Amino acid sequence: MRSKITALGALAVAAALTLAGCSNGGSTPAPTNGGGDAPAPSEDFKVVAFTSGNQTPVGAWWVKAVTEKAEELGWDLTMVQGDFDFQKMNPAVESAIGQGADIVFDGYTDYASIGSIVTAAKDAGIPIFAIDSGTEPTDAFVVNVTTDQQVLVDQTLGAISEALGGLEGKNVMVIGHDPHAGIRMRASLAEADLKAAGANIAGGSIQKVQSPATGRTEALTLVADYLAANPNGLDAVWVGWDDAALGAAQAINEAGAKAVVTGSDAVAEAIAGILSDGAFLATSMQPWPEVLDMVIADIEEYRATGTLPSTNFVAVEPTLVDASNAKDITPSDQLG
Amino acid sequence: MNTPQTKSTASIAVGGAKSAGRWMLQGGTVVALVLLIIFFFAMRPDVFLSFTNVRNILYQVSILAIIAGAQTIVMVVGDFDLSVGATSALAGAVAAAMMIGGTPIPIAIIVALLVGLVIGLVNGVLIAYLKLSAFVATLATMTSVVGLAFLVTNGTTLFNMPEAFNQLGQGRMMDIPIPVFIAIIISLILWFILRFTTIGRRWYATGGSAEVSRLSGINIKRARLIAFTAAGLISALGGIILAARLGSASAVQGEDNMMFSVAAVFLGMTVIRSGAANLGGTMVGVAIIGVMSNGLNILGVNAYVQQVVTGLIIIAAVTLSSLRHKER
Repeated sequence: MRSKITALGALAVAAALTLAGCSNGGSTPAPTNGGGDAPAPSEDFKVVAFTSGNQTPVGAWWVKAVTEKAEELGWDLTMVQGDFDFQKMNPAVESAIGQGADIVFDGYTDYASIGSIVTAAKDAGIPIFAIDSGTEPTDAFVVNVTTDQQVLVDQTLGAISEALGGLEGKNVMVIGHDPHAGIRMRASLAEADLKAAGANIAGGSIQKVQSPATGRTEALTLVADYLAANPNGLDAVWVGWDDAALGAAQAINEAGAKAVVTGSDAVAEAIAGILSDGAFLATSMQPWPEVLDMVIADIEEYRATGTLPSTNFVAVEPTLVDASNAKDITPSDQLG
Repeated sequence: MNTPQTKSTASIAVGGAKSAGRWMLQGGTVVALVLLIIFFFAMRPDVFLSFTNVRNILYQVSILAIIAGAQTIVMVVGDFDLSVGATSALAGAVAAAMMIGGTPIPIAIIVALLVGLVIGLVNGVLIAYLKLSAFVATLATMTSVVGLAFLVTNGTTLFNMPEAFNQLGQGRMMDIPIPVFIAIIISLILWFILRFTTIGRRWYATGGSAEVSRLSGINIKRARLIAFTAAGLISALGGIILAARLGSASAVQGEDNMMFSVAAVFLGMTVIRSGAANLGGTMVGVAIIGVMSNGLNILGVNAYVQQVVTGLIIIAAVTLSSLRHKER
């Protein structure tokens, strides 16, 4: 009995020490004050910022960048990091709004998932500014700046078309992931454009990856199985995001097939893949630092004059990354 | 005269139906595997049993086979481990981070294996000595281990490991991928341990009845501790091979291996008469999962439908397993 109590005591002490040691690191579900050591704000401008995607490289960069901007601009920032857990994140954001805020800032969280936050902000009479939080205009936001999905698709399909000498009669697999609004939309656009260009959609329709966590292995398996059944049946694979595209490229390289692959995100590994002369042909870089600057300018304008942005949806052009410019691109997972 | 004849015929018919039912119950999983193979072969005779595709299936299930082997051990002692997937991801991430930082490959692999061993040890202490339920303990360690993996990877995907390391997952011997050989070797070792060693028999005894085992003089706490520690170590090996196979490591890599490993063990429990977890049965379960996924992909079946079918097969397996227990 005594040994059990000693063991439990040791565990409790170890846990307390670990928590104390880690108290400045990692994400927290509860609202945290990002103002930290910043000088006292000249004007009390309260911002509630949140993202569900803080565990993704771009989401993690956004948290850091917004926190730095808040210190620089003297915002009183409450940052909520949701870990893709809306049941945990939404009440935390609503609670922060209830404690008094001037604006809400949404990073990379689709408006479909934050209905209760939109209602709370409306009830409080404060605007929501957003980055990449939906693919279509919505009254939920006073502005949502994202990338132009049609241009992204045009650029990546253009790269495939150039590599294959046209799309007519070519077998192209499209790999998507429905729960992500952006990927869902661009995969649908790619499928429609490929059909319009006379290409055959390999497998008959969009191949759907079920989980982003296992996207690479799922895409690898999908393409490997397809190539086993149709050894010369694939000319290209269009994939909605880089991680799965890397799996598709690996399957093609391992099978010794000639097909090319495009992705989207411009992560470091994809850029390395493009430079390695393998199946990875191109990806798309979405200009998140510039997008953040645009939204922050809108927020500062609202703070200074009370003027809201003139349009609630802005789509900026992404940049195609291929062998010609890959060396000059800052990977999206190394933004900061 | 007629009456006895009728009785006799009826009794033969009933006996036949009973024995057919029992045969289905006892051999259902193996029969299901054979039927699946026949079905997919009939649908695509030109492809399904070709060397390339069989190699494909073996390659795709090799890492699951290793992790399912780990799960088999803890299920033999009557528990289960929800942290095997997270442990494998952390081990892969640790090995990758160390190699990218310049640590020699063997040292990085050894450290990653030790990470898995320590996680297994923690699970074992919590469950065997502090008497936490396996569900709560391994759920908690899974949560912490995923957090550690995010800290190790900084939320990104680690890549640019040495080519020699990647060969461990991508290289071939006699045109067969190396992970297939590793999975076979690990499976044979585990089968030998479970069947022929003292600790293997103690694990089975503990899983059969902890109280009887204790009264028979078996240190069941130590047996469970060793089982979880071994599971952590083997899961870590699976994660290292997965990192080499993909040439990269992330915090959530291979997270579906936990669910599929439990499913494979449940499928395998119906293979033997006792209805206990066993390695041969687990490998049949792994084969069913691999054949299903590959066959449905080849037939172009929608991924969501595949998920539904996989769930139904797990339900069928658990039902069969439950019926076996009732029969005993």
